Amino acid sequence: MARWIRWVVGILCVLVIVGAIYFPILRRRLRAAAKLQQQTAEQARRELTQAVPVNPGEPRVKAKLFWASGNGDGTLMDSTVELPLSSDPVLRSKQVLNTLLAGPVDADLRTLPPDAVLLAFYLLPNGTAIADFSEPLATATPSGIQSEQMAVDSIARTLEANVPKVQRLKILIHGQEVETLAGHLDLTGTFLVNAEGPLPAPVAATPAAAPATPPVAEKPSAPAPATDKPAPAAAPATRPASPDGV
Amino acid sequence: MVLDPAHGGTDPGARGTGGIRESEIVLDFAAQVRRALESQGFQVVQTRQGNEDPSFDDRSALANAQSGAVFLTLHIASTGLPGTARVYVNSDLPVSGDVAGLISWDRAQTPFQGLSRKLGDLVQGLLAQRFKGSPSTAQTAAVRQLRTTAAPAIAVEISSVVVENRADLDRMAPGVADAIATGVAAFRPSYVVPTTRGGTP
Repeated sequence: MARWIRWVVGILCVLVIVGAIYFPILRRRLRAAAKLQQQTAEQARRELTQAVPVNPGEPRVKAKLFWASGNGDGTLMDSTVELPLSSDPVLRSKQVLNTLLAGPVDADLRTLPPDAVLLAFYLLPNGTAIADFSEPLATATPSGIQSEQMAVDSIARTLEANVPKVQRLKILIHGQEVETLAGHLDLTGTFLVNAEGPLPAPVAATPAAAPATPPVAEKPSAPAPATDKPAPAAAPATRPASPDGV
Repeated sequence: MVLDPAHGGTDPGARGTGGIRESEIVLDFAAQVRRALESQGFQVVQTRQGNEDPSFDDRSALANAQSGAVFLTLHIASTGLPGTARVYVNSDLPVSGDVAGLISWDRAQTPFQGLSRKLGDLVQGLLAQRFKGSPSTAQTAAVRQLRTTAAPAIAVEISSVVVENRADLDRMAPGVADAIATGVAAFRPSYVVPTTRGGTP
């Protein structure tokens, strides 16, 4: 065998050995890089969706959250969850809405799409809350009067039960006013939340169990929209809306 | 009688996993409701005949341009107990008007809410007799289509697009049509047009 052929065969053998050693290392590195990328995406999502930081010193209170009753008839039921709720109404609202968005243990009882996120929450001095949700709230809520009403109702009633200062609710999608939630329910106005004025705050609870009280089926009752336009003086309003609304 | 098959065009409305599209089924329901109403002597106008998608305001305008019209919008839900039907009337809106007693067009439903409630309860009661599990009285909801309609106006929503077989929905159509026509006929004697009218969009 010619000398140069031996050299070529020798080099090829070395290359094969190096390749055999390096290939698994390369594969491991690629897998690690892909995992890191996935973790970064998950981390970004968690940062967006995670509940606002709470002061551990805050007392744990029984928060009432409204999810579907599971009867298939559009009714909601309240579930009591112990949370270290802030006394600040904006932080408190964010906490209960993030818990509502996280959903109940039984995913079939969700009223809001799992991908929806609360982007911002403001509370005006007149008691009007502005809740800004990400686009999936509009694009992934099942289209229909009943399903859209359940979504809005669960938000309004959860705020009503836990944040007495919220009297009206305006829902935005990605910072914008939209005509309907998913083709039916009117989002151009505001929804009455605490029409009768402030309610007593949730009772402080002993720190122990999480989801607790047996659910109580609730009759469907839409949060009534309140006009957000200044009402001209002449006609009396059945339920007057604050003229300095949203 | 203004009959509104909801959605249409690029808006299919609710969609079932079996390919059922709300915008198509409501047209078939509307055809049967129309026949039932005409047999009771009503003149019927539809907001769409085919796969068009008029705006909410254009649909309302058809009723607002007439005196003494009744408006009914037909929907198929994504949810709800299959085989049930619900009637919705607009949520109670604060009554507002200017010194001349006019109501702004985008709140044209306001003076008709009492009449809408009466019509809604009549039709819902008849639907409940035909479809077990349906509510006995009309429910309230902030339905966008109803807000700008200056006439007694109700939304009828059938459950649902998730049925496995479209025939299950088709079987409901005659009962829905009969309940609506009977309800509207029973409502007619009590329909006095309110003096304060909403504007035309």
